[in-house]
Amino acid sequence: MNFLAASIESLGAKVTGWFTVGYGMFAFLGRALVLLLDRATWNRATFDVVIKQVYFTAVQILHVFLGYALVISWLMISIILSTARDFGLTEFATEMTIRVLVLELLPFLTALFIALRSGSAINTEVALMRVNNELDALAHCKVPPMQFEFLPRLIGGVVSVVALASLAGLLALLLAYLSIYGLTMAGFEAFTRTVAKIFDFRIMAGLAVKCALFGLAVTLIPVTAGLETPKKLFMVPVSVLRGMMRVFFAIVAIEVLSLALKYI
Amino acid sequence: MTVFADRDALLAAVETLSDDVARVAIDLPLRANLSALDNVALIPLYQRHFDATESTRQAQAMLDALGHADIAPLRDPDMTPAQRFIAQLARALMLKRPRLVIDRPGAMLYDVSYPDFIRGLAARPEMTGTWEIYDFSWNQALYPQ
Repeated sequence: MNFLAASIESLGAKVTGWFTVGYGMFAFLGRALVLLLDRATWNRATFDVVIKQVYFTAVQILHVFLGYALVISWLMISIILSTARDFGLTEFATEMTIRVLVLELLPFLTALFIALRSGSAINTEVALMRVNNELDALAHCKVPPMQFEFLPRLIGGVVSVVALASLAGLLALLLAYLSIYGLTMAGFEAFTRTVAKIFDFRIMAGLAVKCALFGLAVTLIPVTAGLETPKKLFMVPVSVLRGMMRVFFAIVAIEVLSLALKYI
Repeated sequence: MTVFADRDALLAAVETLSDDVARVAIDLPLRANLSALDNVALIPLYQRHFDATESTRQAQAMLDALGHADIAPLRDPDMTPAQRFIAQLARALMLKRPRLVIDRPGAMLYDVSYPDFIRGLAARPEMTGTWEIYDFSWNQALYPQ
């Protein structure tokens, strides 16, 4: 009986904890959105920090990311083409390549890439800022941390994931064309027709929303996880661990939801 | 200078300080990933809405006035305790609040004779306003009577 009560109590504590974390995250997002719509937010200082964040999150890693996207795309296209040939489904190879790579795999991998590189860094930095009282110092100086530290990171994350996923998608389309038709314009009309058929407004809007949600997940969750850190240095790794687990679950949930909305 | 018999009394006094007091204290550190100059420049940038160039110019002028222009490019971990204190002091002075409280200077300036060091800074021609020091009673002997 004690065991049962303890289990229910533990489950209840966990569920309450999840709701508290979820509420904290959405409340933070709400504050960020309100600030985003406030004209006063958009001064030169905030704009400069946003530019810096986009540079650190996307531009600085562009060559590495494009190399990685190139290898993954080439591998996937080769596998799809060879499988399609084996089953006599060559005419569907273009569509399959676009659907698998451009719509699903590349945005997902982009989000993971940014989460591992920038999300973990954001989580650690915010946690350290909290533990070291740097946020209190900013508050004492009346420098708003949301405007100076957090909002630029959220915007930077969204812009970076959308931009990198778009670039990777364009690269994959080019590679798919070259792999299927080679260095000739012979297949251009058929290829562009397939592309136009797949990328209708609904799919484009869905892709943009998915990438934006990925971008939000890889920045919003690390920021809020960092802010939850108790003021003890040894809790920083725990905060990063929790934050990155939440980011992983959020990315998977967004992908599963997007697949379900598209195909079920 | 205001002296306190113990930590609790000092913290209670700090707690009662109003918003128009600028404080230099170990619990109000610099932003670790910004240089000393950028830490000071944050104030004109965000409070008085100057552009980045003008904010940086004002911050550099403040460091010059304190006689430590050389610390401008240094980040927190690269500074000595005295240099870090100068950066924190410059940031507090940049706030342009009517009162400045230096809270437990011994905790920040442990590598110099801090009463002389602070007096030297306060005596600089560009320095104005009232500087107050909050310290423990057992350090009182360090200050000239």
